[in-house]
Amino acid sequence: MPSDPAIEITDLHVTLGGAPRVAGFSLNVAEGQFHGLLGPNGAGKTTVLRSLYRAQRIDAGELRIAGRAIHDWPQSDWAGTVGALVQEGGTFQGLSVRDVIEIGMMGLPLSGPERAARIDAALAQAGLSDRSDTEAARISGGERQRTHIAQLLARGPQVFLLDEPSNHLDLCYQLILLDEIKRRRATVLATFHDLTLAARYCDLVTLMKDGRAHATGRPADVLTRDNIRSVFRVDGWLENGAMRIEAAI
Amino acid sequence: MSRRAIIPGLVLVLLLIAMLAGVFFGTAEATWADRIAALMRAEAAPRSLGLILWEWRMPRVIAVALVGGGLALAGVLMQTVLHNPLADPYLMGLSSGASAAAVGAILWLPPWIATTFGIPVIAFLGAVLAFAMTLALSMRRGVILSPLVVILAGVAISLMFQSLTAFFLYVGDPYATQSALGWLMGTAAGTGWPDLWAPGLAFALVLVLSLTSARNLDALLLGDERAMALGVAVGRQRIVCFCAVALLAGVAVATVGIVGFVGLIVPHMARLLVGGRHGGLIPLSAILGALVLVVVDLLCRIVLAPEEMPLGVLLAIFAAPPFIVILRRVRVAF
Repeated sequence: MPSDPAIEITDLHVTLGGAPRVAGFSLNVAEGQFHGLLGPNGAGKTTVLRSLYRAQRIDAGELRIAGRAIHDWPQSDWAGTVGALVQEGGTFQGLSVRDVIEIGMMGLPLSGPERAARIDAALAQAGLSDRSDTEAARISGGERQRTHIAQLLARGPQVFLLDEPSNHLDLCYQLILLDEIKRRRATVLATFHDLTLAARYCDLVTLMKDGRAHATGRPADVLTRDNIRSVFRVDGWLENGAMRIEAAI
Repeated sequence: MSRRAIIPGLVLVLLLIAMLAGVFFGTAEATWADRIAALMRAEAAPRSLGLILWEWRMPRVIAVALVGGGLALAGVLMQTVLHNPLADPYLMGLSSGASAAAVGAILWLPPWIATTFGIPVIAFLGAVLAFAMTLALSMRRGVILSPLVVILAGVAISLMFQSLTAFFLYVGDPYATQSALGWLMGTAAGTGWPDLWAPGLAFALVLVLSLTSARNLDALLLGDERAMALGVAVGRQRIVCFCAVALLAGVAVATVGIVGFVGLIVPHMARLLVGGRHGGLIPLSAILGALVLVVVDLLCRIVLAPEEMPLGVLLAIFAAPPFIVILRRVRVAF
């Protein structure tokens, strides 16, 4: 029996700089499902995620998480329910890696020792235990991405919204961190440019083109030669769980 | 006890010592016994010394501490909400806007306004106007441009308001101009107890407001989007902080004239000592800002005694080396 949707997007419309970026996009993600949003640059993947984590003003549509409209969530409940991995820089002035992780746990009803234990575990999972007190403004891009994923792991939300989780990560940490998120059986909506990685982790994927859903289904059913040609303008297909790319069209 | 708990206590003790020094030291010759007796309001104390300590030096020292603490607090808030390590009320034109409005008020408005609540309120409005203009110049389609563009916009607005101040002084009545000029140099001399309510109220209000928003401000250090994803109402938080900063800058200018660099440098000093989390950064910056300005004000009184140096002049001399260090760190980090 299918679970209730943890993420419901109904007829979403978003305009950016006068041009429609998302045009009538709808999607339901069931509880505990790992769902991938795929598509070329400008397809509207990040805009869908930004709308869900309340950073994007929408023109029309309905967005619900765990059955509640996203703007009806009070701040304290929201932080414990939804965790977003965002592709945008901050200044991190004076913050250590540990501070960044701890700030992400604001509003969670945890005791001091519980909080510290969660942070230590997340630091270890992200391979950052020895960087805990390092200034966050001075670590590498990969370490920064690991820090933000560690923040989400420490927070342990019910719903993960991940914008390009594999960005800046070496192969080893891509697998370690995505395995850990998958292991938690939380609901995940993630954008990917790496289609092989998407096929490996996603239960279902949605291929987006020009702000609309082009196809939705299991990776093997969606990442077909026809769909890849039509959406990415590339001759390629999924073969034994890995993408085989021949040439750009 | 952790370092983050010990350092603010230590700096607070230093501030109290500096404030006592500010009350004890000055151009008036007196024995230590007389000074202590005057401070304790003892019968045996010379009456004139009691007046100097209680009616002249003490309100001055408190005013300078409130202004220093307020400007440092304003610097912390600006640097956080604008994501700009160089943001400061002076560099971003707020102080110039406040001083142009205040000079205009001193020269053109009825004298009762200058002697009552008028100047702090008018200076606040000038700071709001300058800040709004700087932000308007720094934005394209609702997005704030790079930190250096914001600073350049602040410098441009600052120059514009300085020209306006010069114009007011040029065309103003010579007697009123003399009074406005003395005030513009930046000095706390002549501050009395009735002058303390505005900086005291503004400082207390913004301190409480900032401490209750400390977690949201922490989240803003991760970037606007991450703060929004954590549930912070970023737009509302930013507007509240902008109003708080304009209030502090306006009141500071109305109390002691233009004082630069405290808002820029002190938050960086505090970050080096306790890190960037606002729960620790806000109180330490406020105490450290007060300490810096109380010490500089004391030096202004004793370096060329019996002459007194303008506060802004000596502060700029002390601020130059840390300013260069901050610039170098900023260049490395961004």
